[in-house]
Amino acid sequence: MTASTPTSTRATATARAGRRVWLPAATAALLALGLAAAMAAPPDRLQGNLQRLMYVHVPAAWLAYLAFAVTFGASLAWLWRRRPGADRLAAASAEVGVFFTGLTLVLGSVWGKPVWGVWWTWDPRLVTTALLFFVYLGYLALRRAVADPVARARRAAVLGVVAFVQVPIVHLSVVWWRTLHQPPTVLKPGDPTIDHAMLAALLVNLAAFTALYALLVASRLELARLQDEAERLLAEGEPPLAGAAVTPPRPEGMRERG
Amino acid sequence: MRAEATAPGWAGVLARQALEVAAKDVRVEVRSGEALPVIVPFGAAALLLLPIAVGADVPLLRQAGWGMFWVVVLLFGTLVTVRGTAVDDPAQRDLLALLGVDPAARFAGQTLASALLLVAFQVLLAPVAVALYDPGLTGWRWLGPTVLLVAVGLAALGSLAGMLTAGLPARGTLAPLLVLPLSVPLLLAGTQVTAGAAFGRSPLVWLLLLVAADLVVLAAGVLAAGSLDETTTR
Amino acid sequence: MGANGSGKTTLLRVLATLLPPTSGGGTVLGAPLDAPVRLAVRPAIALLGHAPALYPQLTLDENLGLVARLLGERPGHAAQALEVVGLAGARHRRAAHCSQGMLRRAELARALLTRPRLLLLDEAHAGLDPAASGLVGLLVDDVLGRGGAAVLVSHEPWRLRPLVDRTVELADGRLWPVEEAGDAR
Repeated sequence: MTASTPTSTRATATARAGRRVWLPAATAALLALGLAAAMAAPPDRLQGNLQRLMYVHVPAAWLAYLAFAVTFGASLAWLWRRRPGADRLAAASAEVGVFFTGLTLVLGSVWGKPVWGVWWTWDPRLVTTALLFFVYLGYLALRRAVADPVARARRAAVLGVVAFVQVPIVHLSVVWWRTLHQPPTVLKPGDPTIDHAMLAALLVNLAAFTALYALLVASRLELARLQDEAERLLAEGEPPLAGAAVTPPRPEGMRERG
Repeated sequence: MRAEATAPGWAGVLARQALEVAAKDVRVEVRSGEALPVIVPFGAAALLLLPIAVGADVPLLRQAGWGMFWVVVLLFGTLVTVRGTAVDDPAQRDLLALLGVDPAARFAGQTLASALLLVAFQVLLAPVAVALYDPGLTGWRWLGPTVLLVAVGLAALGSLAGMLTAGLPARGTLAPLLVLPLSVPLLLAGTQVTAGAAFGRSPLVWLLLLVAADLVVLAAGVLAAGSLDETTTR
Repeated sequence: MGANGSGKTTLLRVLATLLPPTSGGGTVLGAPLDAPVRLAVRPAIALLGHAPALYPQLTLDENLGLVARLLGERPGHAAQALEVVGLAGARHRRAAHCSQGMLRRAELARALLTRPRLLLLDEAHAGLDPAASGLVGLLVDDVLGRGGAAVLVSHEPWRLRPLVDRTVELADGRLWPVEEAGDAR
């Protein structure tokens, strides 16, 4: 990092402050628009108002996979260039991804129970999403288990890449499995015969949630960056030399205790 | 002394190193008496517990028999592979690194050793499942290749997870967590081969999926071995 | 030499090319420490650390045989090395059933077997009885005779003095020369 002059520091701070304002503002606006669109869209013929959960469930599912893809990309970037920012992005995206994956699963349950009478359907996409949830949890658990930042970044990056490559195979196997046992009624939120108004509302919500994802990741990134800064400053304060923590023993201490 | 990557005998050197590592791992595991003498009874006990929990209804058990076998193979087989990756302690890893053992060769060797142990594990558990559940034995011919392919895939996943969690105190529990979600194709292929055979469906497509899944994990492991080797990277 | 925690083991691992330096650089056996080519000189380095790098479930013979095969040495050399260090009788004993001193001797046998050009001994005389202590000198002579070098870490400098050309102390992250009256070599 090059030393920054007072003017450039101020410029960076201003840029960051600017980002801090427009992204939340845009997100809030899009979310409000999304909510309005979801409410304005016509209710489903069969499921009624319950079907409006789709406007949250589908974007959440989309984000779960987007976050996973971002973690994959950031992991590759780290393995390529070893930039700490890439590692922070992978971690931030994974954390946000866990949230949206969990949300997808819960909403799927809430939607499913009144419609099909069961909390869980073995729809292949839902199953894969559940497995994705566990993959994320494993990723975050691995990060938490490694103390050294470089080792943590390296191992997490490898897992981020390997997991992403494996998930399509997992999904394929689940899809094949379910096509053998598919019941006639199936969760089909992305039905191409969807009503135009509904589709429009869905797209608006997709955009809104993507903005929300970006906002959450950006905030998490900032937090991670500040954490790393703090750690770096703390480490600089410690005696950097080996052996400085070890001093010759003081046998007088035993006599003092009496 | 150590062959460069472009030397013609390089693949031979890697293969030889992998075989030495595999032989060493198998010998150590067999003598430590943990992989098979402990985990096989553990798996057999699990197979016994399931009907106690879900009901000893013979038609139900017949239908679910192979599925239960494959689930136990997956859950407990993961323990076998994770144990196998703990054979080397830091001093031994340093020694292997100094002897010029390529990390990819070490991965391949560990995977081979775990795969052999897993084949033995499945072969020992299968009669227990057959005895307890009386599932159909039609299509037993497909069982052999399936056992082999599941063993290789699970071993590779286990070795990969072992590399990712090497040296961590939480390794024993974290590695299985990493393996299980990604091992679902193995589980599905195993169950579909045995179930499909009962209905006269050709299991070829599932065997192909198994081969593809195995190849992907093996490739990932070989590629990752170099990146994860802490004596060569920063 | 150096106080506890001064970084002696870390330094040995850096010299063994197992730990890349976080700053600065150097060359070991002609290979720069931050270049991939350092991997090529590793088989010429023998590192004997605190913990024995022997597999407890394998016999001493099997342990050394593994090393021999990985280096392309003849398997007979493993038995020879064990004989030199006086462990021929314990060849078929598992490492788990050997005492610390025996394991240390076995490690010295391993170092002899690998015929290194750089010998790194951590706690050189630890666990060795007087008869075996002479083995350290033997090993150092063997390496020096091949034109190599040896780095020995010890808390018993009087034992090392006859073996070494130079004594240094690691403190505050630097190496300090140690003045002594009348060097033996």
